[in-house]
Amino acid sequence: MEEQIQSQSKPGVCIPWEKKREELPDIQGDPELLKEIWQEVDELAYTYIWHLLVSF
Amino acid sequence: MAENMEKLYQERLNRYVTAMRNEKPDKVPIRPFLAEFTARYAGYTCQEVTHDYRKAFDAVVKTASDFDWDAVVGNMVYVWSGLTEAVGLKYYGVPGIEIGEDVGFQYKEPPEEDAFMKPDEYDQLIEDPTGFLFNVWLPRVSRDVAAQGEGASYRNNLSFLKGGMAMLSYFSAFPGQGERLKEECGMPGAIAGILKAPFDILADKLRGYLGLCTDLFERPDKVLAACEALAPHLCRIAMTSSDPTNTVPISIWMHRGCVPFVSHDQFDRLYWATLKPIIQELWSAGHQVLFYAEGNWNHHLESFAELPEGSIIYHVDRDDIMDVHRRIGDRFCLSGGLPNTLLSFGTEEQVRAECKRIIEGVAKDGGYIMDASAIVQNDAKPENIRAMTEATREYGAY
Repeated sequence: MEEQIQSQSKPGVCIPWEKKREELPDIQGDPELLKEIWQEVDELAYTYIWHLLVSF
Repeated sequence: MAENMEKLYQERLNRYVTAMRNEKPDKVPIRPFLAEFTARYAGYTCQEVTHDYRKAFDAVVKTASDFDWDAVVGNMVYVWSGLTEAVGLKYYGVPGIEIGEDVGFQYKEPPEEDAFMKPDEYDQLIEDPTGFLFNVWLPRVSRDVAAQGEGASYRNNLSFLKGGMAMLSYFSAFPGQGERLKEECGMPGAIAGILKAPFDILADKLRGYLGLCTDLFERPDKVLAACEALAPHLCRIAMTSSDPTNTVPISIWMHRGCVPFVSHDQFDRLYWATLKPIIQELWSAGHQVLFYAEGNWNHHLESFAELPEGSIIYHVDRDDIMDVHRRIGDRFCLSGGLPNTLLSFGTEEQVRAECKRIIEGVAKDGGYIMDASAIVQNDAKPENIRAMTEATREYGAY
């Protein structure tokens, strides 16, 4: 049997915070706040595409 | 809210929830899933309720005000074509555009060779389902979204902006509709949250039914892997759109995963093997799931009986409801079973007689909710809907 591809895609995530974090300079303020809001807004995009698929 | 509406709301909610937990309430609850029927009853065209969700909401409130039911859906004409047109979705026949203004919206499955996902794209989907949807699927299902590598366009950019804002507008309006139904009609909402089986998503929106049938023989391992890759995402969408109080169920709309569309073996290995874990996970979080089992699923009732007692409500469409009751009625609440053809073409007396037969056959110990077999569209006669309501009240008191 051929090797099966593993899914790398996490539910609720379009662009992981870890990837975004690499694009930022040294964070002078609170990184947790940035992470929390990034993930919250990122999940809105996730919701958009998955609801297009499932609900519409 | 008027005191009498609050009291009515609580009575109805208690009746509905008691039945869903497979217990015996004071009366058989009535929870009709009404789509374009509400337009007919409230004096709108299908185009009006499909294209302007505010009119759809008004139609539901008008209908719910006039009938003694126990729960309704805020809007069963769920495809708001204002949104689908903003995104440029190709796969709907929209009332007033491709089809007559008084015909319910239609889903148009493309020919096999034009499927939205090609047979050699399974690995791409499996590796990154979300990326696949944005980069491959959406440009194919939308008239406006540019494919990867194509230049961005004004229409492409607007599609995302308008689509996103439209979805926000639509989903944000539902809590207000729930409040209206509660305050103006004393009517609880019937469901919250949406689930589809991974296999159905593959058939409906990606490979198409014919393409998937070919894949079942030519690349069954890929089909299974794709279903497994889709499952956690579908579970996430169900969970995040559910009722946080765990009062009303998440609905699953079950399409073509049953015999004879697939074999027993394919059902077991693909459909059920990737849906059952989702149901178990939702149940472990306290969510019941309403199995809206479109068609005839009687070959699979023993599989559904593997689920924890009370974890689902089983809605009967084309199954023999007496048989379903005998086989799984001790484990789960049942709903539906009243043929839509009767509501459209039968007489009031025939409707009353069938309601009596169903109630006497399956509702004796509770755990039954009156509803039509399938979603009620604008071919149903209002007098027959009234006969269903009155007969259930007459024969359904414990």
